[in-house]
Amino acid sequence: MKWLRTTITQIERPAPGFALLRFAGQPEIQGEPGQFVMVRGAWGNDPILARAFSLVEVGVHGAILVRVVGRGTRRLADMRPGDSIDVLGPAGHGFDFSGKGDVSVLVAGGVGVAPILMLAESMAASGQRPIVLYGARGSGELVLCERLASAGEVAVATEDGSRGHRGYVTDLLLGVLEKQPSAHLYACGPEGMLEAVAKMAVRRSVPCQIALESPMACGKGTCKGCAVLARSGQYLYICSDGPVLSADDIYGEEQ
Amino acid sequence: MTGILETRLGPLKLKNPVLVASGTFGYGVEYEDIMDISRIGGICVKGISLTPRPGNPPPRVCETPAGMLNAIGLANIGYDAFISGPLQRLRELCATVIVNTYGTSAEEFAELARRFDKVEGIAALEVNISCPNVNAGGIHFGMRPEPAREVTRAVREATRLPIIVKLSPEAIDLAGVAQAVVEAGADALAVMNTIRGMSIDVDTRRPRLGSVMGGLSGPAIRPLAVRLVYEVHKAVSAPIIGIGGVTCLQDALEFFLAGASAVQVGTANYSNPRTSLDIIDDFETYCIEHHLFPSDLTGKVQI
Ligand SMILES: Cc1cc2nc3c(=O)[nH]c(=O)nc-3n(C[C@H](O)[C@H](O)[C@H](O)COP(=O)(O)OP(=O)(O)OC[C@H]3O[C@@H](n4cnc5c(N)ncnc54)[C@H](O)[C@@H]3O)c2cc1C
Ligand SMILES: Cc1cc2nc3c(=O)[nH]c(=O)nc-3n(C[C@H](O)[C@H](O)[C@H](O)COP(=O)(O)O)c2cc1C
Repeated sequence: MKWLRTTITQIERPAPGFALLRFAGQPEIQGEPGQFVMVRGAWGNDPILARAFSLVEVGVHGAILVRVVGRGTRRLADMRPGDSIDVLGPAGHGFDFSGKGDVSVLVAGGVGVAPILMLAESMAASGQRPIVLYGARGSGELVLCERLASAGEVAVATEDGSRGHRGYVTDLLLGVLEKQPSAHLYACGPEGMLEAVAKMAVRRSVPCQIALESPMACGKGTCKGCAVLARSGQYLYICSDGPVLSADDIYGEEQ
Repeated sequence: MTGILETRLGPLKLKNPVLVASGTFGYGVEYEDIMDISRIGGICVKGISLTPRPGNPPPRVCETPAGMLNAIGLANIGYDAFISGPLQRLRELCATVIVNTYGTSAEEFAELARRFDKVEGIAALEVNISCPNVNAGGIHFGMRPEPAREVTRAVREATRLPIIVKLSPEAIDLAGVAQAVVEAGADALAVMNTIRGMSIDVDTRRPRLGSVMGGLSGPAIRPLAVRLVYEVHKAVSAPIIGIGGVTCLQDALEFFLAGASAVQVGTANYSNPRTSLDIIDDFETYCIEHHLFPSDLTGKVQI
């Protein structure tokens, strides 16, 4: 892990309320799909904690996709090229997608598309063509679809039916699992979606990795703030044991 | 490194008076990849208990105006794992290790002290009689002079290591608690631990923390901490380590002027884990420019 004081080099605004921030690596930002960085601007005490964001791009530039939900994300989304940011990372354990040859099904909900996009592009770079299922409330919240489409076979779902299937992304997943019973699942999104995906996977004994979120402070495994109760009855920590965990560990059925 | 920042807290000698606060810097070793942790004046490790503790139900942290609430519940790996794991590495890295200890009885505190007394590579014990996030022990010993005295005496009898007692802002008469622990053999006082707070999500109408209440930390508590350092400094002559919302040299100087001889950086480590090193560098420059030692500032507020 590294701690960098670096600068924003470029900002894309793929939709209202979203910003794709690129920042300079010094010399390189490293990381795997599913790993994250703790990010903070030079804005004093408000907010005081760094914020966690999944890596979307690594290399001479790193990139994160920010969805505005509160003060910290608002401040980040309002930044401009040349502004200074502090980046701690890469943090946590990413997706393990070494099992080539299997059918990979990637499920993204909302801003959960961030690590899923990096995963899809990494799979594409290694010669796979994953199936990507992407859900949001409405078409205005579907971002970076073109990049997703060049990495995999994309199907979208919106709750208001403004694009793709009307309903939940898990509806799409049900259909895919019927045709692809030997799929490997990778998912990131809101808790309710992750739980639904994980339970579908556990019931069918399909391997499934989920990227979880939780309020966190340190991003380094030290504050013990981001606990999640595992099926084993023990606490796992999203920042250091995760954020990618096996669906079975969290949502597996009691034995 | 000129040595200008060298600090004595009673029998405890430190490279500089800027420490990192327990619970906000893990066991220290987690940070060796991003900074030279041997430069820190002292690393107060996460509170250690005799046996491992799993901690409280989530969510355990939430941000509040200029601060945060935490209800970690002293999740820690326990004495044995600490000794055989992180402590070995801390020693190799030549870090200054201060062990924050937590027990549910005076006897447990004493047992921990007895064990750590025989272990090499520990600069001091910081006795935590002020954690608000546990059902037994913790803050219950820190609220009144008598239990605080009893724990301190038990620890004093169990070890020759320098003893720092970490006090709670919730004590009814903090100066009285401070006097009691100094009489019982504390070498220095750490002022302060978190103060209990609560935050509610108005959309869900639920508390933001799984344990409902948690300890408030960060710049939000700094004025309270500065006041308590000031009051305790007037009441006792033992050295005081000021804690509460230190984010930069200016904040540290405020504590010195109120009566502190050292400071700890807590929540600010989450904004920037290198905060303590930045303060050390700035402090050194300040001392050179002003031709003084940090101790020249202690208690020098002009009233
Ligand atoms: C490992 C990880 C990866 C993440 N990746 C991304 C990403 O790629 N893009 C992105 O936009 N967001 C991501 N998040 C979520 C992001 O960290 C939060 O949205 C952000 O911290 C909110 O900060 P804020 O100040 O804007 O909101 P606040 O004002 O702090 O809170 C606004 C709302 O967001 C909730 N919230 C606060 N912190 C978190 C958190 N850490 N996780 C989930 N909800 C939170 C609060 O409960 C509240 O409802 C990730 C979180 C984690 C833990
Ligand atoms: C997440 C977290 C965990 C903490 N754990 C401990 C602990 O184990 N023992 C202890 O004495 N204090 C603990 N504290 C209190 C800090 O050491 C410090 O006293 C307090 O946070 C005030 O300083 P600050 O405002 O600089 O954070 C913890 C604080 C936080 C935020």
